[in-house]
Order: sequence, then C-alpha cells, then structure tokens
Amino acid sequence: MAPLHTLHVEVNGQLQQCSVQPRQHLVDFIRNDLGLKGSHLGCEHGVCGACTVEVDGRIVRGCLTLAVQTQGCKVRTIEGLSHDGDVRDLQEAFIRHNALQCGFCTPGMVMAAKELLEVKPDASREEVREWMSGNFCRCTGYHAIVDAICDTLAERARKGQKVGA
Amino acid sequence: MELTGDIVIGAPRVRVWAALNDPDVLAACIPGCEAVEVVGPLEKTARVMVKVGPVRARFAGRILLSDVIETESCAMSFEGSGGAAGMARGQSEVQLSDESMPEGLHTRLRYTVQASVAGKLGQVGGRMIDAAAKQMADQFFGAFQAHVAPAAAPVPDATADTRPQTPLPADTVAQPSAAPAPIRAADSASAPPAALPASTEWLRVKWFALGALATALGVWVGARL
Amino acid sequence: MKSPQFDYCKPASLDEVFTLLAQHGDDARILAGGQTLMATLNMRLSEPVLLIDITGLKAMRGIRVQGDRLYIGALTTHTDIESSALVAQHAPLLAQAAPHIAHRAIRNSGTWGGSIAYGDPAAEWPCCLSALDGTVHLQGAKGARKVSATDFFQDLYTTALQPGEIVVGADVPLASTVDWVGFDELARRHGDYAVAGLAVAARFERTLVQRVNLSFLGIGAIPIRARRTEALLAGKTLDAGTIEIAVASLKAELDPLPDLTHHAGTKRHLATVLARRLLQAAHASRSAIAA
Repeated sequence: MAPLHTLHVEVNGQLQQCSVQPRQHLVDFIRNDLGLKGSHLGCEHGVCGACTVEVDGRIVRGCLTLAVQTQGCKVRTIEGLSHDGDVRDLQEAFIRHNALQCGFCTPGMVMAAKELLEVKPDASREEVREWMSGNFCRCTGYHAIVDAICDTLAERARKGQKVGA
Repeated sequence: MELTGDIVIGAPRVRVWAALNDPDVLAACIPGCEAVEVVGPLEKTARVMVKVGPVRARFAGRILLSDVIETESCAMSFEGSGGAAGMARGQSEVQLSDESMPEGLHTRLRYTVQASVAGKLGQVGGRMIDAAAKQMADQFFGAFQAHVAPAAAPVPDATADTRPQTPLPADTVAQPSAAPAPIRAADSASAPPAALPASTEWLRVKWFALGALATALGVWVGARL
Repeated sequence: MKSPQFDYCKPASLDEVFTLLAQHGDDARILAGGQTLMATLNMRLSEPVLLIDITGLKAMRGIRVQGDRLYIGALTTHTDIESSALVAQHAPLLAQAAPHIAHRAIRNSGTWGGSIAYGDPAAEWPCCLSALDGTVHLQGAKGARKVSATDFFQDLYTTALQPGEIVVGADVPLASTVDWVGFDELARRHGDYAVAGLAVAARFERTLVQRVNLSFLGIGAIPIRARRTEALLAGKTLDAGTIEIAVASLKAELDPLPDLTHHAGTKRHLATVLARRLLQAAHASRSAIAA
C-alpha cells in the first residue's frame, strides 16, 4: 500500500491534521475523516456537482480534488458557509421558493450559487441558468432553484442601490 | 461502432493470410499487445494494453474465427474484458483479393468491424470509441504492412512467391511459435496485475524477432517439402 | 467509484519532475488541475503507480506579454484566463472561448497546459491555439523546445510530447485592431463536450478579408483547419454570397469523424451553421467599424 501522508488543512476555520491515503479525495476526507456529511457524492467523476466545496475561496469539484492537494489550504464546506452566514438570504430564498425536496443536490447548489453571487452580481436569468447547469437535480425541475437565485440577486441589488443612494 | 477499411498490402495474398493468422505477427502489430496465444485451430486469446488519452486499460480477450476460406476471407468474433474499465465485443469480416501492381502481386485487404464497448469505458470513453478504434486500426495495418512487406525486401513476383510460400494451414504456421507462446503466458501470469511491465518495448521487439524467426523457419521447412 | 492505490508527491523543481518521469515512465502521471485525470482514476480507467503534482512549480504560472506574443503558463486555470485583463486585451478569442469550458467549479481547477497536453478533440484550447497559430512550449530533461500548434496536435490524444516532457506553457500572437476573432460551439447541454465548435481569427482591411483562420473542434481527432475554405475567403468581403460559397466549400472540405451521439453528416451540417454565424458576425462587426 502507498504510504500515508500527513495532511494539514484548515476546514471551516479549524486547523486539521490527519493521516490520509493519497488516493482519498476531498469529499471522502471531509465526510469520513471529519464527519461533515453536508457534502455529497453523486457521480464521483465531476459531472453532477453534488460534491461542490470551496478551496481557497473558489468552488471546486470535491470528488476530483485529492485531500493531499489541499495541504496548507483553506477549505469551506456547506456547514462552514452556513455557519458564516454569507448566504443566509440565498438559503431563505431556497426555502421560500421550495427549491429543495430531497436535499441531496442542495449543498452543491448553494456552494455554486454563492460564487455566482460574488462574481456575477448582475447576472441575468439566462446567465444564472448557464452557471448552475453544472449542478444536477432530480427532484425539483430546476426552475425553483433558478427563481431562488434570481430573487436573491435582485434583493441584493436593491439593497446595494439603497445603500449607494 | 462500425469501422471499414480498404487497403493494399505490398505482399501476395498467401503471405498476408499466413501473417494474419500468425500469433507472433499479431502480437507485434496490435498496438499495446502484450500476448497472443493460439488456443485452437480457430481460436486465439490476446492481452492488449489500450492507451487512449488518459485511459490505460488492459483487455484480455478471445478471438474466434469462422467461415474460413483459406487465403480469401474469414469472419471473426471477439470479446474482451477490461476488468474495472469495461468490456468490448464485436465481429469483423476480412476479405483478401489479388491486386496487380507495377511492383508485383499485392493484396487488397477489406475489413468491416462492428464493435460495442460496455461498462465504464463505454460510458465515459464512448464518444471517442470510433476515433480510437480507427487510430488502432491504422496503427495495426501500418505495423502489419511494415512487417509483411518491409520496404527493403523486394516484393516477389507472382510465380516465384508460390514456391516458398505454399499455403500452410493456420495451425501449421502456428506450430513453430507454439513453443515460445506458453512460456510467455507463464511470464505474464506471474507479473503483478496492476504493474505495467517496464520492458513492454523490449517484449515487442522480442516477439517481432520470434515472429521473424518463426516465419524464416516456416519458409525453410516449406522449401524442404 | 474510488480510485486505485497510488503514491503522490509534489516536486519543488522541474528537474525533480524529469527525474521521476525517467524513473517511472508511463506508470507515473502528471497532476495539475486533475479534472481529466481524477475522473479517469475514479472510474479506474487507469492505475498509475505515482501521481506527480506539478502545481508547486511557480515558474509555470502567470500570463505575460513577451515581445509580440502573449505567453500563458501551463498552470494557469481556465478561470484565470476567463478573468484576465491581459487576455481580454491581447487574446480576446481565449476570453470568448473560456466560458464554454465545462462549468465554473471545473474551470477553477483545470489548466491551460492540461487541456493542451491532452488534446481532446472537443477541447477549446487546442482549437483556439490552432486558430491563432500559437506555439506550445515543452520541456524535458534534455531541455526546452517550442512546437507550433499545427505540429503539436498530431492524432487522437497524440501530441508532439515525448516521454519525459511536459507542457510548460503556450503563447499566441497579440491581437491587433484589424483582427476579428470569434468562438462558438454547439453542445447538447451547456458544459458538455461540444459536438462541433469553431474558432475564427481573421485579419481585415476595412471589410475585406486579408486572411482568415477557421479552426474546428469536435470534427476530427485534432483541431481541423479548413485551409481550402480559408484560401477561398482571402481577399473577399463576407457578404451573403461569399458566406454561401464558404459553406459549400466547407461541406466538400470537411470529413468529420462520427462520435457516440452524432454521425458525420450532422457534424458537417453543424460546422456550417457555426461558420455562417461567425462569418456573419465578423462582417457585421467590420461593417460597423467601417461605417
């Protein structure tokens, strides 16, 4: 068996030190070694988006990232994001619009949408759909998810304008 | 997936037929081939390491001949397992006919292949199967042409070539190489499955040399008959 | 699925990388963004012994102007290219193509060098590099060398990379005001491997085409330059009649390879759809400037 590596990584603001197999991907590490079950595995080859987590401020496919690759990095999962309150408005919009049913895709959806809110605050509905097309949902039919994100964008824009005025 | 080809090989039909049935020639010409073994008069097994892009999948398969018309045509069915990667199966038809060229009597080789790939390789790599199969076929026939009709050797004319190249039934041609083949199989059985032999290139050279030796032996035997 | 066992290392120097490659040969795989490699390993379509993580090699990062070229280091991510002001100014074709690459999370990890080294038939960067007559920078134990895009992409997943060499970067010529560039691709869903795509790089004199490069992805095993059609368009204005001539020429010139979902005839048709769109857009843009 390949030798274990000692991993030092900050997860949700907490420094972790663990022994990991090189082949262990980030979401398996997060779920099994750290007990954080919010990040999910769907396809495990980068297509479904359920594994989306944040590494050094950017969303990545957790199933395509090795735990050992996050040596010295800052990782944030849905638990951390939720705790930090960055997207409380988005999460409330999800509930309001019934944008989750079984909830399996939801953490990935929220992580992906979070980056959209940061990077494209004036995204059109079409741009939201394109951005989110990397996350699959089997339950909702997607419209409610898009509605929730557009709602949040509009609300933030409105608040931004009020602040600016 | 369907593949067809129509090529001219710079050698007479009898030699092309013999080479197509020679496991050593096949082992030397199939890209990534690690071993070809004759199991019966119409049956061979093969182990091929398929390298396409990021994929490295070792396939162990069986080739079964049928509808054999010596030196003219045959049908082949094949199936192979790639372990965790998936499975491949299909059939092909090969037809040989004489092709008169200024340099001498060559052979026109026509083939059709229908194949399907199942399992993960089919799902994930499926979009590239046609292009990958075509690339492998091109590589095979390039190597086959070089083996059967090396540019340096003069192509024998129609009368001269029938003397040393009397049509030998497939299993007779296989005889000289039957001895080395089981030794190779024993080698491979002991090799760790996950590790790629570091000497793949050397193995190929060895097989090519063995194939050349076996063919030379066959020619010598044939000349004596 | 879980990937098979392998060992992992992160060299601090290129020399270390070359030593490891010489030692392990094809049993070692280079890991940069890992967006293709990790999917392959998770599906157990490959079982390497060692992963060599090259993301620690800072010399392979960065976008900079070098003389009359824009140089992009191999470790530059797709998102870096998408959001780079230098790229927007000097290589707008790349800025247009970047959003078509998969999805944001993949773009945040996947790299310029990785896409070029794999040379997937439907990949955007090989297509753009071919359209711009870019140059790939390679390095191995024996030293560094440069290969033109035309010579680099040779066959299906086959490039000019020799065993023991890696892609360290690639450069493209700086765009000028007389250049028009356009990129578009057609996929069943956004982010899927494209069925067909086209990168156009043209130099104009007012509305007259001086030269135009038409580089197709998803049509052949490598980026396909429609050189006969390119020659036809030189010296012409891209009015409706000329575009129809170009489309007819493409139909004759292109010999698409079918893939799992589309046969050759469909690909040929889609190639002409893209050609019409982009050539019309080029004409409209140049006419607006000339007006």
